[in-house]
Amino acid sequence: MKKKSIVMLAALMLVLSAFLAACSSGEKAGTKEKEKEGTKSGETAEKPQDGGTLTYSLDSAPEGKYNFAFYGTAVDAEVMEFFDENLIKFDDKLQAQPHIASWKTTDNKVYDFEIKKGVKWHNGDELSVKDWEFALKVVADKDYEGPRFENVVNIDGAQAYHDGKAKEITGIKVVDDYNIQITFDKARVNNLENLWTYPMNRTEFKGIAVKDMMSSAQVRTKPVGLGPFKVVKVVPGESVEMERFDDYFDGKPHIEKVNLKVIDPSLTVGELKNDTLDMTSFHPSIIDQVSALPNVNAVKYPGVSYYYVGFKLGNWDGKKNVADEPKYQDLKLREAMYYAINREEWVKAFFFGVGKPVNRPIPTNHWIAADNKDLEQFNYDPEKAKQLLDEAGYKDVDGDGFREDPKGKKFVVNFSHYATSNPTFETRAKALTQYWEAVGLKSKLTMTDANLYYDMLEKSDKSMEVFFGGWSTGSDPDPTPLWSSKALWNYPRWVNADSDKLLDQAIDMSVVGTDLDKRKDLYVQWQKLFMKELPALPIAELEETMAVNKRVQGVTFDVSGKNRPNVWWIKQ
Amino acid sequence: MLKYAFRRLLGMIPMLLLTSIVVFTLAKLMPGDSLTGEIDPRNTNPKYIQEMRDKLGYNDPMPKQYFRWISNFSEGEFGKSTRFKIPVSEVIGERLPNTLLLGFASILITYMLAFFMGLYSGRKPYTLGDNLIGGLNYIGLSVPAFIAGVFAIFLFSFKLDWFPSNGSVAIGLTDGTFEWWMSRLHHVFLPAVVLGLLATASYTQFLRNDIIENSRKDYVRTARAKGTPEKKIYNVHILRNSIIPLITFLGFDIVAIISGAIITETIFTYPGLGQLFLQSVSTRDYPVLMTLTMMFSFLTLVGNLIADILYGVVDPRIRLD
Repeated sequence: MKKKSIVMLAALMLVLSAFLAACSSGEKAGTKEKEKEGTKSGETAEKPQDGGTLTYSLDSAPEGKYNFAFYGTAVDAEVMEFFDENLIKFDDKLQAQPHIASWKTTDNKVYDFEIKKGVKWHNGDELSVKDWEFALKVVADKDYEGPRFENVVNIDGAQAYHDGKAKEITGIKVVDDYNIQITFDKARVNNLENLWTYPMNRTEFKGIAVKDMMSSAQVRTKPVGLGPFKVVKVVPGESVEMERFDDYFDGKPHIEKVNLKVIDPSLTVGELKNDTLDMTSFHPSIIDQVSALPNVNAVKYPGVSYYYVGFKLGNWDGKKNVADEPKYQDLKLREAMYYAINREEWVKAFFFGVGKPVNRPIPTNHWIAADNKDLEQFNYDPEKAKQLLDEAGYKDVDGDGFREDPKGKKFVVNFSHYATSNPTFETRAKALTQYWEAVGLKSKLTMTDANLYYDMLEKSDKSMEVFFGGWSTGSDPDPTPLWSSKALWNYPRWVNADSDKLLDQAIDMSVVGTDLDKRKDLYVQWQKLFMKELPALPIAELEETMAVNKRVQGVTFDVSGKNRPNVWWIKQ
Repeated sequence: MLKYAFRRLLGMIPMLLLTSIVVFTLAKLMPGDSLTGEIDPRNTNPKYIQEMRDKLGYNDPMPKQYFRWISNFSEGEFGKSTRFKIPVSEVIGERLPNTLLLGFASILITYMLAFFMGLYSGRKPYTLGDNLIGGLNYIGLSVPAFIAGVFAIFLFSFKLDWFPSNGSVAIGLTDGTFEWWMSRLHHVFLPAVVLGLLATASYTQFLRNDIIENSRKDYVRTARAKGTPEKKIYNVHILRNSIIPLITFLGFDIVAIISGAIITETIFTYPGLGQLFLQSVSTRDYPVLMTLTMMFSFLTLVGNLIADILYGVVDPRIRLD
């Protein structure tokens, strides 16, 4: 008897699992068949087809702050791109262009914005400039805990409102539902680029105190936006389900549904191959595997990030940078270390064909980037490096094969690189130190946990005299926040009066006005200066990578990112 | 019995207090804080980071921070997650059902497999079947979860397409419907098996060895001499004795259920407490991190207590008072 029941139980389990397996494989086989048919008919008709479900994966769990005013991570932003909308957009030269809002200004101080009529929120409300005013006030509120006050502070009276000294922001004047005038505290070249242009639906947020907004359902699980898709369901930390928003202002989207889900990056290739994933950004290290898939396009598009090796030239005194570290003040030493690096070889080995060497602290795709022919090239030349070191007095006096400093003391390049789970980081950092050792500079590498890296840099940790760093620049080209002598993020602590002057002039209305060429010219001069002074050695710039299943059509990329998803469509 | 349990429960209080000190100190010893990662020169003003540090109280002296935390904690006020900006209890509440499902499924699979395999092996030791099971068990014991997980995904998700490789439920289903539950079970099966692999292997071996050992004991010989059928000897006499160690594991398994499986959940992108714990460590989300650690410690103590009480229940000889 007993034995029988045991067998029965085991059999039941088998049946159960078989049932589970069957119900899934049946479903999947079904969709696959459909796809096959789809490709056939799709090839004949190239007109966008309506319908279909797009599966898009996120490589880490979103924080779930689905409102531009509150979000903090790029993953959340990826989700929001589908269901919300910026009032202005940036073209492939990263110039601001009218989108929902257009503007007029004569002096770059007072801007008259006009928004399109009939733009609908997902809840059926019509967009009014009051929604924008509402968002600006939320961001300027004293209880606001997000990091965006920077983008509002330049509006006249915003600081007073933030400090609770005023009831209204004086610089914002609502004319009617479609017109608003925004006055900045002073004229700047980049007032518009830095302005907060994401409205918030004021009826949805009615009655919610600013300090409670970030944790409200309106932000976290039931966000309402203006974008081509509306959120149906949010499963926190796992997935977001969206469906087409028929009243999208820029034309009804083709795709019926969008599913965004979190998938561990290690599963990306397998999921892509099985057609269970249509679109995802991926790490360049797997580009060969992704390109090898017959059903997927591995897309590379220009990015706006660059990597550099910085020298600790000084310290941060709490307000500004002070150049007080003597070790790397010798320009010839820095030049020699630049000549010693074979950037071509290094980039090829560690960036998987999606990077290239860069010669300036501005990505090539940025409109202010100087032409390579205007800049010193610093091509790989170990002999020249050795010669420069000899000239500077770095010679091997004790015969151990490594150079000592001009005073005859041991010289060690203390180099550090950030560490994540990415295994290539350590080897690529090691490779750099080997280039320096090849010209006789003893080097020591420290790998530091990525979370602490910049914090330790800020505090001028001793192991970080030479360090690897990277920046991703936004649409505003101004390098002031990164390289001015008053910038905290200027990690090499580079202090140079000419640089500050050039950077100031380039955003000074009285110097450049609205003349883009004039502005670019100043930036080119600044880049020349930078490459002459070499406070940091620009190493490489990286392209962005994205995998798109071949059945997804109409997706285009440029420097500003993807095009709007309403024009995408799926071959069926 | 009751008195014993009560005494043990009281004894937990100082233990938990000490644990809290250790947890807090270790958490704060981690270099950096929740704001160190937030570097975005375009949007983030250094002043903002300073302000936030003040607001979150990171600049207060350590003892003051500790007492603020522990007094709030004991009132059930776990604080706000610095990453999600919602109360910790809500964050944990979102993940807890997933973890519970995974844990129970895993334990169910473990116990069922271990029970049948152990019973068979113990009864027919040194046969082909036993050796086969033994071989499988040693593979199960020696293959770490992260390898097993990756292989399971490769084989059952990518090659055979039987199970999904990630997530806890398919998108587009209504909560609570039959399809929704089936989808959840479907999603949880593979991680649950992987998670239970190690435990299955060791429990099977425990059970097998215990049965063999018992079958050589005097009372078994007596039963045989009396002419009791073999089946009855094994299923009644021996099983009762051999199941004791297995039952006591149940107490410890409670912790395993809740604490989730850090590695398994990460590999299967399964949003449970294990994954949350790992993410909280890397983002220095102290409130979530400390609450989870405290919860795990508390459950470990409770699990121990349950194990001890169960001992007494199944084996009257070691009943404590």
